[in-house]
Amino acid sequence: FLACKRLQGRIVDSVFALRFIAMGSSAKSSSPITTHVLNTGDGVPAARMALSLHRLDPRMAIWNLITIGWDGRCPGLITSDAFTPGLYKVRFETGQYWESLGQSSFYPYVEIVFSVSDADQSCHVPLLVSRYSYSTYRGS
Amino acid sequence: MNMNIATTPPSPLTTHVLNTAQGVPGVNMTISLHRLNPISSEWYLLTTGKTNDDGRCPGLITKENFIAGVYKMCFETGKYWDALGETCFYPYVEVIFTISDSSQKYHVPLLLSRFSYSTYRGS
Repeated sequence: FLACKRLQGRIVDSVFALRFIAMGSSAKSSSPITTHVLNTGDGVPAARMALSLHRLDPRMAIWNLITIGWDGRCPGLITSDAFTPGLYKVRFETGQYWESLGQSSFYPYVEIVFSVSDADQSCHVPLLVSRYSYSTYRGS
Repeated sequence: MNMNIATTPPSPLTTHVLNTAQGVPGVNMTISLHRLNPISSEWYLLTTGKTNDDGRCPGLITKENFIAGVYKMCFETGKYWDALGETCFYPYVEVIFTISDSSQKYHVPLLLSRFSYSTYRGS
């Protein structure tokens, strides 16, 4: 639970629907938000990269933690019921990932903040990352 | 930012915003540079500015202020696309990076469209 420890200071009391997704779990892949992390430096999926999904509470201007994941492709990030319009953030623990491979990285973590206006559409928010670059795009 | 360009040495940290959807520099985008205070875990605002006609923002930081640490460059992408009459998937982009050797030059560009972006460490 290294990622949990690091995120400890960021978990707020008003968190609701907190979900932990273990690696290899059979969680539904019908989450309206999906992600996929690719290690473009080595040309492999980024297995065992910790990540977390957050939603902005606009009234309190704080980020609420929704899910913590442990795998580069993390099914079950959010349920359809919980998926409402608003600002979301996926945080990828890239520094920890490269450290576990014995390497340094320019980016200690990557946060991708995105806006959902239509909760009927699904959002794919992938991360293509190397030690010195990253990119993302909106897929569906 | 008022600068005497003739006497001010170039910033050791630079950026460049490119609008990859339209194939033009990202002009007039608000950018801010922050450094993390490792003791308080709070971000300290160092500079704000807007990109020029070339999508660049000279004078981000002086050599003296450029110490090793964790920095954050925040790009106001939502406002940029809004000014062009378009929406953007990303209300803002924050690139957080580690400077371990402050004697080197670092280039942190942003290649941006309405639905994608990328960045890399240049020099």
